[in-house]
Amino acid sequence: MIKIDHLTKRYGDTVAIDDLNFEVRPGVVTGFLGPNGSGKSTTMRIILGLDHATKGRATVNGQDYADLKAPLREVGALLDAKAVHPGRTARNHLRALAASNQIAKSRVDEVLDFAGITTVADKRVGGFSLGMSQRLGIAGALLGDPGILLFDEPVNGLDPEGIRWIREFFRSLANEGRTVFVSSHLMSEMAVSADQIIVIGRGRFITQGSVDALTKTAQGSVLVRSSDPTKLRDALVARRAEVDESSDGNFTVNGLTSDEVGEIAFAAEITLYELTPQRASLEEVFMDLTADSVEYGHKPLGPVHE
Amino acid sequence: MGISHWVRSMSNPPNLMSTVKSEWIKFRTVRASILGVVVTFVLTIGLGALITTAVRGHYHEMDPLRKITFDPVSTSLGGTLFAQFAVGVIGTLFITSEYSSGSIRTSLAAVPQRTRLVIAKAIVLIFSILVVSEVAVFITFQLGQSIFSGVVPTASLSSGPVLEAVLLAGVYLTLLSVLGFSLGLILRQSAACISVFTSLLLILPIVMFLLPQSWQTSYSKFEPSALGQAMMSPTPAVNSFGAGTASIILLAYVVVTLGIGTMLLHHRDA
Repeated sequence: MIKIDHLTKRYGDTVAIDDLNFEVRPGVVTGFLGPNGSGKSTTMRIILGLDHATKGRATVNGQDYADLKAPLREVGALLDAKAVHPGRTARNHLRALAASNQIAKSRVDEVLDFAGITTVADKRVGGFSLGMSQRLGIAGALLGDPGILLFDEPVNGLDPEGIRWIREFFRSLANEGRTVFVSSHLMSEMAVSADQIIVIGRGRFITQGSVDALTKTAQGSVLVRSSDPTKLRDALVARRAEVDESSDGNFTVNGLTSDEVGEIAFAAEITLYELTPQRASLEEVFMDLTADSVEYGHKPLGPVHE
Repeated sequence: MGISHWVRSMSNPPNLMSTVKSEWIKFRTVRASILGVVVTFVLTIGLGALITTAVRGHYHEMDPLRKITFDPVSTSLGGTLFAQFAVGVIGTLFITSEYSSGSIRTSLAAVPQRTRLVIAKAIVLIFSILVVSEVAVFITFQLGQSIFSGVVPTASLSSGPVLEAVLLAGVYLTLLSVLGFSLGLILRQSAACISVFTSLLLILPIVMFLLPQSWQTSYSKFEPSALGQAMMSPTPAVNSFGAGTASIILLAYVVVTLGIGTMLLHHRDA
């Protein structure tokens, strides 16, 4: 169980995290979603006691991370796969970690094997691909067989086989009753790998819920094609619907269900040629939710001035 | 995916010794430390041999005044003036390489007790460099005396002050490696650290040389390199501290810098 309680982090005048509150529960995969720069990594660093909170608290199993006696046996984390001394071999890296938390040396071979990097265990980490480094990071996170696991953007750099492997892996960790907290800036990834999703933007909490629930909260729209667009349009607007008309006389109705649109058309004696409910994809929900909070949005690029 | 059979109820909680063990694995498993140790050896003994051979060659033409103040002990330990940079770099890299690779975060996630991490690293550094330095200085001392023998006056370890000077030469190198480490904790960047370290040892004496004579007399003995010279001379030179006092002053420098470094590690985000 991870608990974030009124967490705020400021760097000078920049607010990286603004009064975040949420809980991450065991037994499910919880996705931590937000655009780049939204404060996901900062939150994770604070959970691990690496960064100091300006205000508020982050606790793991009810304790500050810094107070854990054997942290690797309670929390396993993979923040930055490349954050390993490049000159050390994978095995020695894990041995040093194991020694620091009184974890038996034999466990190193087990996690190397599990992550599928036994064959490169005695090679220097500097030569590893990002995918191999991710696997080493996963091995490191599992070293102490912790009940809580944190992964920051774990699928970056993995090949499709690796991505599938890691999704199943998260699932199995959650099924074993562990707390699994995974960040990503990709909604599509979270949609398949997470059960619960916490969405933040610009350091602020936006929403939280199951993948299904989040899609449902998304405002659906209805695509309508009819015999008399003008008349139907007036009838719909009279019911306070939002209508976007396209050039060919089709329009998209927001704020009404397809049933309601059908009934309005029937009452107005208009023939409908098409009536299609449009469910927002999770990706669109995410874009919608975080539209105001994208820190590094793109702007149109003008021509070169001569 | 059978990874859940692991016994979580492992009874023994980690302590300072486990951190020391972990840091010892880290220390000996990177090339920089191994190479640094070899360089320390080569510089101390090789340059010691070179210096003593040169002195033996020119001793007969040395002016009588210099012959009177000639010290076979510190002269034979001259290689340490070069080895001090090697040990400084070993100490610096022991921490700055963690910052440059980002692995400091992995270290702190494993050992969130930051003071414990610093102490463990310092213990590993002190023990390894002390062993290497003492072996190196005793070899270079004996080698130097045998090169001097017959032409230049020699010293023997059977004399208390001589034994002390040779021992303290190793202590000097060890303290300097911890100084490099402490600067690393404060500055977090290898290049910046090594510049500051080198400046302290080489540039500071030059700057001091530009100051009025009275200042030089009172303050130059406080330079780290002057303290080192005092530590490895059996008889104190003019305007210099005795070996014991010099050791204590240098130790104080190291403790203060290490203290500042530890405090900063606590307060900063990793």
